[in-house]
Amino acid sequence: MDARNDMLRLLNSRRDGFSLEQPFYTDPDYFKLDMELIWYRDWLFIGHDCELPKPGSFITVQIGDYPVVLVRDQQGKINAFHNSCRHRGSRVCNTDKGTAAKLVCPYHQWTYELDGRLLFARQMADGFDKSQFSLKPVACESVAGYIFICLAKEPADFAPMRAMIEPYLKPHRLGEAKVAFESTIVEKGNWKLVWENNRECYHCAGNHPELCKTFPEAPTVTGVQGADSDPEMLAHWAKCEAAGLPSKFRIDPAGQYRATRARLLRDAVSYTMTGKRAVKKNLSDSVSADRIGTLMHYHYPTTWNHILIDHAVTFRVLPISATETAVTTKWLVHKDAVEGVDYDLAELTHVWTETNDQDRRIVEENALGILSPAYEPGPYSELHEGGVIQFVDWYARFIGPRLAEGGRPALRSVA
Amino acid sequence: MTDLGLYRHLDQMAPWNDRLQVLEVIGVSDEAPDVKTFTFRSDNQTWFRYKPGQFVTLELPAPDGPLMRTYTLSSSPSRPFSIAVTVKAQAGSIGTRWMFDHLKPGSHVKAYGPSGDFSLHSHPAAKYLFISAGSGVTPMMSMLRWLNDCAPWTDVGFVNCARRAEEIIFRKELELLGGHMPGLSLGFMIEERSSREGWYGHMGRIDAIRLPLLAPDFREREIFCCGPDPFMRAVRGMLDASGFDMTKYHQESFAAPAVEEIPAPFAAPAQDGVAVPVEAATPIRFALSDVDAECVAGQTVLQTARSSGVRIPAACEFGLCGTCKVKKVSGAVEMSHNGGILDHEIDDGFILACCSKPLSALEIEA
Repeated sequence: MDARNDMLRLLNSRRDGFSLEQPFYTDPDYFKLDMELIWYRDWLFIGHDCELPKPGSFITVQIGDYPVVLVRDQQGKINAFHNSCRHRGSRVCNTDKGTAAKLVCPYHQWTYELDGRLLFARQMADGFDKSQFSLKPVACESVAGYIFICLAKEPADFAPMRAMIEPYLKPHRLGEAKVAFESTIVEKGNWKLVWENNRECYHCAGNHPELCKTFPEAPTVTGVQGADSDPEMLAHWAKCEAAGLPSKFRIDPAGQYRATRARLLRDAVSYTMTGKRAVKKNLSDSVSADRIGTLMHYHYPTTWNHILIDHAVTFRVLPISATETAVTTKWLVHKDAVEGVDYDLAELTHVWTETNDQDRRIVEENALGILSPAYEPGPYSELHEGGVIQFVDWYARFIGPRLAEGGRPALRSVA
Repeated sequence: MTDLGLYRHLDQMAPWNDRLQVLEVIGVSDEAPDVKTFTFRSDNQTWFRYKPGQFVTLELPAPDGPLMRTYTLSSSPSRPFSIAVTVKAQAGSIGTRWMFDHLKPGSHVKAYGPSGDFSLHSHPAAKYLFISAGSGVTPMMSMLRWLNDCAPWTDVGFVNCARRAEEIIFRKELELLGGHMPGLSLGFMIEERSSREGWYGHMGRIDAIRLPLLAPDFREREIFCCGPDPFMRAVRGMLDASGFDMTKYHQESFAAPAVEEIPAPFAAPAQDGVAVPVEAATPIRFALSDVDAECVAGQTVLQTARSSGVRIPAACEFGLCGTCKVKKVSGAVEMSHNGGILDHEIDDGFILACCSKPLSALEIEA
């Protein structure tokens, strides 16, 4: 059975408003197609500019089969390269992060400039042309402190995403913040289950006692519809926009990214057990308005985010296999905020550390249940799970045509 | 006694042919400490047809059998009646030492050539940079003398690096040409001060910072480089790293770069029968290997490690790749790297062994 045609057939015959068929969550061949057609084609959030503080700072990341290194060069520009030596393919940078004067392959010391040019290869034959063996570049864009890469040969235009998202993020100055803490957990579930769980708060009341102290469960907050008829949301946007913070719900026509600002409960200002600040210092020197709540923005398939008055929590999703997904969380604070003085690390990270672990268990239980031969797609709640329906629709809309264009003629035409 | 045959015109003579004629020494002069110029004419009234920058191979009749030695010509073909080589007797050199001891005016030497492709005639350009170290100045001098005779308005940067001021070969002549050639800019760099000559110019080793000081517009120039292999490697590395178009870079090497000899501590040269005190060697302790070594003047930490049996991994050996990065526990070094180490690594006490020389006793984690 050709997985490509199989997958296309199931997409074309899927019931709107229902979860996907079992192989989308479990089948290694479907996972390969997800990688090839979504992850190796779309823009992916990797990390923050402030994680590359100076020339020579690098971070590495593994996207499926692709090892990639991001490095800030002598001119201050952030470049992304395939982390594979042009000599015999060895990984050039083999640590998660670091600082290097040059990128030197540990295998035979081929030495690359921070802009990818091969500078030195020991004792190669006469006539060896170094200029032909630069590190291969990966498309890389940075917007308001967020670094995105794209592995595609012809990346989609990044400009519309930049144009929409930059005004929301800019005041928060994440480009000059610092990462106070980061954690990576592996959830034993398909990446789409991680997202489906994230896109609704229908599960919050029963699972997230800590988060629910401050975060509203209303679908108008998490979801993608109804916010503009929710008077609380409208009032909050008006207040924040008056303070110079773009806030209204906006979503790109293709549904891949969205931004909106929401209130927290009562007079809470931060994700803590008390609702009070976790950090004495504001995250941004340009944002000081009272009770701005949380700026939420997501970009499929890699990131969702919460940006508050005193800190930001950013999330990165990376698939490992059909049934494993790594979720990296970073807590960002003002670069001059001092641990132990301006914030207590345990207090800063408590709510989302617990929430992440609760979500991990939920996703893993969901994955175990889907493995049952008795599993069949079930109906989403239109009231609470509009966000999930929107995510699954986005997935089908993105992968469907790509399946159709690359494979053998599909058995049916796309509906 | 004057040879009437001397007074001929070019068109009355045939060009020199290495299969038919040998060379006759007509002059030996001192240029600098341990550096002499030997001037030759043909033993049979010929003129010399060659390009400035080319070399000849001399067959030196040493007692243990002939030695073949290749030298760049320092003379210019614009003065075709004689040729000259300017040679430095290094510690331990055999051929050059034999020439110093035996070649006098009237001696005959068999020679082959001239030949080679290292010449501005092979790479015409609007602007040149001649960059050399030590006796690598000879092909540059040949080319500069030719330019002075035939195209004195040429825009040429001339950079020469030497260990000490008095060891700069042709210094006086270069200063003289500087006055004759409006487009000539001279730059000298020495490594250490000496008690013999004052110095107010650049000091240190050429690196990515000093090169633009000596030749600000080096990117626009056709570059010719000649000197010891480590020197040429360093220049090549820094040009390459600066994005220089390497098709405009030419270097003189007679063979594949040989394995660099580790200089042994040298005995003091006797001068006028008076022994000069040996320069004090600097102690280096390699802590992990439990080895105490002596670094003689001019040696790098890496060379000292090698000569004392301590292995420090290294690859490029011109301060670019960082493979030889080691921790300096104590002491001070002078380091001229090419970007292979970060400032904060230096602040943390790391050095690149390949391009660091001790300024005091050192303890190294190696």
